[in-house]
Amino acid sequence: MTSSLIDNQQTRLAARAVDVVKVYGHGDTAVRALDGVSVDLPTGQFTAIMGPSGSGKSTLMHCLAGLDQVTSGQVLIGDTDISKLSEKQLTLLRRDQVGFIFQAYNLLPTLTAEENIELPISIAGRKPDQKWLDTVIDAVGLRPRLGHKPAELSGGQQQRVAGARALASRPEIVFADEPTGNLDSHSSAEMLGFMRRSVDEFGQTIVMVTHDPNAASCSDMVLFLSDGRIVDEMANPTAEKVLDLMKRLGG
Amino acid sequence: MLNATLKGLAAHKLRLALTALAIVLGVSFVTGTYVLTDTISKTFDELFQNVTQGVDVVVRGKDTISDQSMGELRTPLPESLRPRIEQVDGVKLAEGSVSGYAQFVKNDGKPVTTGGAPTLGVSMGSAPELNDPYLRSGRMPTSSGEAVMDVLTARKYGFAVGDQVKVLLQTGAKEFSLVGLIGFGEADNLAGATLAGFDVATAQRLFDKQGRYDEINVVADEGVSQTDLRNRVAAAIADPRYETLTREEYAEKNAQSISDTIGRFLGTALLAFAGVALLVGAFLIFNTFTIVLAQRTRELALLRCLGASRRQVLNSVLLESFVVGLIASVVGLGAGVLVALGLRRLLEAFGGELPTTSLQLLPRTVIVALAVGIGITLISAVMPALKATRVPPVAALREEVAATAPRRIGRLRVRGLVGTLITAIGVALLAVGLFQNVGSRLANLAAGAVVIFLGVAVLSPLFTRPLARVIGWPIASAFREPGKLARLNAMRNPRRTASTAAALMIGLALVTFVSILAASIKASATETLDRSIAADYILNTEMFTPFSPELAKQLARQPELEAVAPARAGAWKLRGQTKQLIATDPALYDRVVRTQTTAGAITDLSGGGLAVKDTVAETEGWKVGDSVPMEFLGRGVQQVPLKAIYKDNSVNGDFLLSLRDYERFYDNQADQQVLVRAKAGVAPAESRAAIERVLTSFPNVQVRDQAEYKAEQARQIDQLLALVSALLGLAILIALFGIVNTLALSIFERVRELGLLRAVGATRGQLRRMIRWEAVIIAVLGAVFGLVVGSFFGWAVVRALKDLGITVFSVPAGQLVGYVVAAAVAGVLAAILPGRRAAKVDVLRAIAAQ
Repeated sequence: MTSSLIDNQQTRLAARAVDVVKVYGHGDTAVRALDGVSVDLPTGQFTAIMGPSGSGKSTLMHCLAGLDQVTSGQVLIGDTDISKLSEKQLTLLRRDQVGFIFQAYNLLPTLTAEENIELPISIAGRKPDQKWLDTVIDAVGLRPRLGHKPAELSGGQQQRVAGARALASRPEIVFADEPTGNLDSHSSAEMLGFMRRSVDEFGQTIVMVTHDPNAASCSDMVLFLSDGRIVDEMANPTAEKVLDLMKRLGG
Repeated sequence: MLNATLKGLAAHKLRLALTALAIVLGVSFVTGTYVLTDTISKTFDELFQNVTQGVDVVVRGKDTISDQSMGELRTPLPESLRPRIEQVDGVKLAEGSVSGYAQFVKNDGKPVTTGGAPTLGVSMGSAPELNDPYLRSGRMPTSSGEAVMDVLTARKYGFAVGDQVKVLLQTGAKEFSLVGLIGFGEADNLAGATLAGFDVATAQRLFDKQGRYDEINVVADEGVSQTDLRNRVAAAIADPRYETLTREEYAEKNAQSISDTIGRFLGTALLAFAGVALLVGAFLIFNTFTIVLAQRTRELALLRCLGASRRQVLNSVLLESFVVGLIASVVGLGAGVLVALGLRRLLEAFGGELPTTSLQLLPRTVIVALAVGIGITLISAVMPALKATRVPPVAALREEVAATAPRRIGRLRVRGLVGTLITAIGVALLAVGLFQNVGSRLANLAAGAVVIFLGVAVLSPLFTRPLARVIGWPIASAFREPGKLARLNAMRNPRRTASTAAALMIGLALVTFVSILAASIKASATETLDRSIAADYILNTEMFTPFSPELAKQLARQPELEAVAPARAGAWKLRGQTKQLIATDPALYDRVVRTQTTAGAITDLSGGGLAVKDTVAETEGWKVGDSVPMEFLGRGVQQVPLKAIYKDNSVNGDFLLSLRDYERFYDNQADQQVLVRAKAGVAPAESRAAIERVLTSFPNVQVRDQAEYKAEQARQIDQLLALVSALLGLAILIALFGIVNTLALSIFERVRELGLLRAVGATRGQLRRMIRWEAVIIAVLGAVFGLVVGSFFGWAVVRALKDLGITVFSVPAGQLVGYVVAAAVAGVLAAILPGRRAAKVDVLRAIAAQ
């Protein structure tokens, strides 16, 4: 069950999971959330992970992002094996090489939109690359709202701030956890358009967990998870094809 | 509903513990104070039972007057009274007794000091009935060269029967041979006092009480009851100047008067500190309940959705606070007993050896502790509880509760208005307490201070944002992202930050206040000395005990000295009210103290008479040439001519009497202070050497030049300041718990944010730093509020005490800056635990939690 079907040419990998197993709990109550998942995520690809509730898609993403420890197997970001990193090294890796977009936006209410976008750079104590920031801000179309606090922004705007934040530090890879889950269809479309553009125009690698076929259809490759295993995958998806496959898997 | 409340409480044990801690500390201090004072009272009850063993009836003077240095004084009894009593039917024997000042000298030549308790000399009885109960070893003194000593002093300083021991007396130093050791029941000494015993005739001579007794102890014949004997003796004396008491009555009255003193001073002082601690605790509880209820908005709304009425929600919250108050009060009660033990140890460390009595936990203590603890918790919870009832049921269905409510200008204006009004009422109360003599001044002052604290607490959220911005600025610029986030977090909920800081404000305001007061007293004293004292040297004993006039006489013979002015202190009554006076030789006094008179001159007193301060003369309507009706102990009312009126110089006091009159009106002739001026042209070293030569015979008297005297006064004030600050430290400690509590609860609220920060790469260290700087900002904010309020208190009180000679308003700026720095450091400490907790936030949990 490898996912090396993408292209046959030797693409650089942004991240990679090798035979990852994740078990929660012990003994009788143990749950195998991931049951030997291997996946390659090439640089510059927009990958969607789909599957029914409890299929392990969020767990897979958390493990790939170094937020959660794997029980066995290997996770690499770039060339770094993150299962061997210390807490501190993981934090630094997240800071410098990984971006996040959450379903619930997760902006700091005390900071303005602009400060939220620059937050990861500020935490790292680096000087922001103003040209790149301008590019990202224009890509999300938020220039007029930069001085506003999250409470003064709509859900769609907040999520686009979160998107810009994820890109601000030019991470190796961006993980998006149901980024359109809380948004109306119009805002969803804007958000997806932004993610698509960042892949096409900036070569950003994005991994997105979703159960919205429409969202998945914007990606380059869809991985289907069920009971902790990758059960299928689909290149160049459309909403209809995804929906069909999901019906088949569900039934 | 009840069940839901109790289960909710049990589920949040840590929160419960943090909330309760403040009340536990306050209640334990209240309890400790009561237990300690009750125990001391009991101790003295037992002690007076012990010191009257063998006695059946006591005769003593009826009139009392409280002298500043000598305590309660009574009319003396003439020796002739004793044989008259002995002839009464049923009297087996009657013996006179006298007491006075007697201080042992250690083998190294230094006087034995007690740290506050008196150094007593007493006459011992000669009859075995009166002797036997006290004698532990050796025998009682029978001649003028013999003395006994209390067992504890002997043990402490290595004296034994047969030794020679030097004793300092009002009449000078004398050697005695130690013939016996005495104790009192189970106690080895008298509540910390040292005791020297002599035979009656010797004691009379040593204490300058020839021909007089302080008391006459009467022993009954077999079969005569104490009451019978008392009635018979009283009938035989038939003189209203004397009172006759049974042993029980005597012990009870003495113990009562000591208990009253302890209750009034020690008790009131300690309870005041307990009150401050509880006030701070109230802020803490208010704050905790406000935060906790805000966090439980959804839970409360759910209850409302399920059909709970507003009243039920209110009752549930109040019940919760009642339970918290009850648990905390019970724990505080238990801890209070430990506090009492600790306080007793502290007193013992200062030389106050107390006979061991089991700690007294009276029902009153339990009732007060529970009432205060539960009451304060309930009162503090009422406001948050009322607010909780306003949660709309629909809030349960909303996704997220708005983290920062938008500011509403209207409400801010109301807050500003209400806060200003409350503060104004507090200031008015304070002003009444300071400048008017209406009701209890202390009560008005305390009420004023409390109301001002409340008013400022109401106002403080208005200043929190701008102040936190300023305080946080250096932090934000120096510590980048964590500093910046800390500053923003401190500003995001001004009410929470302000009420956390307000708790710290109270302690710091009081510390600031006493620091300013102390500095002003010191500055005023220095100024007074510079302005009023022309003397080069000031002589007195450590405890301002009186000493022999012989010292001044010997000094006057030294050729290096120009003027030697002795000063004596005395108490008298003006229309029944006790007043204190200073008596001196006017001609000499005028050369060592500068006095500005508005009528007459100090030297006019040479032929006898009185001088008074101008404000006193004004109130009484006295003019020079009038007669002042002065009532002295055992002398009745004497008409004393008023010879001069002077302006306050902080040295003369209100009344200055000529030495001639003092010698006529007082039994005990002893100096309290001697002011010395060296002859012009004599080197300081020489004049000092001359004084030191004389002082070798009076080792308990110390000589100080002006600089040393100032330093000594400053040292005593600083000591008191340190003690008060240490006790106020309790309130500050509670306020720091408040910061811990607020931060811990805020972290609970901001789990998602913290998780996010970790997810985007903030290290644990950065999170800890963020929490630390937020704590520092809150602490410094509280310190700044405290400094402002405390400076105002200090200014107001110093202004009001102008009459008492505090003429200089001095702000110890360095010390105050030190307090702010200390507050910042305390903030760092307060952030340790919450910071750890924040750093431990699990990234996954934080971002997954809905």
